[in-house]
Amino acid sequence: MDALALFGVFLKASALSLGGLSSLPLLRADLVAPGIATDDQVVQAIAIGRISTGPNGLYIVSLGYLVGGVVGATVALLAASLPPLIIVPITAVARRWLLATGVAGLVRGVALATAGLLVATGLSIVTATGSPSWWQLALAAIGTVATYRGAIHPAIVIAIGAVAGLALGR
Amino acid sequence: MSAREFGEAWALSQLSPGIHLVALAGLIGRRAAGWRGVVAAVAGMMIPAAAITVALTAAYGVVAASPIARAALAGVAPVTGGMTIATAALLVRATARHSRAHVAIDIAVCLGFVVAAVFLGVPTIAAIGAGALIGALALGRERPTSRETSVG
Repeated sequence: MDALALFGVFLKASALSLGGLSSLPLLRADLVAPGIATDDQVVQAIAIGRISTGPNGLYIVSLGYLVGGVVGATVALLAASLPPLIIVPITAVARRWLLATGVAGLVRGVALATAGLLVATGLSIVTATGSPSWWQLALAAIGTVATYRGAIHPAIVIAIGAVAGLALGR
Repeated sequence: MSAREFGEAWALSQLSPGIHLVALAGLIGRRAAGWRGVVAAVAGMMIPAAAITVALTAAYGVVAASPIARAALAGVAPVTGGMTIATAALLVRATARHSRAHVAIDIAVCLGFVVAAVFLGVPTIAAIGAGALIGALALGRERPTSRETSVG
């Protein structure tokens, strides 16, 4: 996939999502389904995005690097940085309109749809091997609860997964 | 920038597409130093973090093919799947409305999209479009809880 097409894929995912990881269902549809990226690469990118500094949404930079090297990472960074900034000129001319209830409803609808898609994506990552074993299901539950509560650093949760994989995955 | 201005910038950033923190940095940058402030704030936040992310990805790439890394990935994959599901729950918590009836409706809408994606194979982009339409027509009453709790 050439750099411009990759930029298009990342830009679409970023522009049609709401916050951090919510671009994942779109990226998975556009990259994993046609065979440009693998689910393993997506998992690596999410894990590295969680461990690394900055917003969680930067996982797409990691995915860009895995798919297209430094050029891929650069177009992913641009695609992640540009769409959110549309709010700056809109705020300048239509602040009141943005805070109206119709917009709140639209954003809420997109958020709820995205949440549904994220649940589906998460389930398909957990079941990607066909039939996950008991300890993989336990790790999925730990990942869900720890992330929702937010009390443990994501890097520690990922390290728990890696250690469990080393101990039980061979 | 006053606490009230920051609170409003934060509320507006939650309406932006993509990464909300980028929108917040852009709004703060513009308030501080115009368009050059936008560029400085966003570049300052994103470029170092992206460089570290690329470095970590490249470092992992060195060992990615080894049997040890593959075994570890068998444990990391379900964890990231769980993190993705938790992100969905956090998204619902941030956007769902206050009253009991509204919360029930919002959760039902979300579960409807889970069913649509998992069992009906509805395309991602169609689901997002449907969400926007349903939201604009029917889910606008009562503001998100997040705005009520914002600073100022």
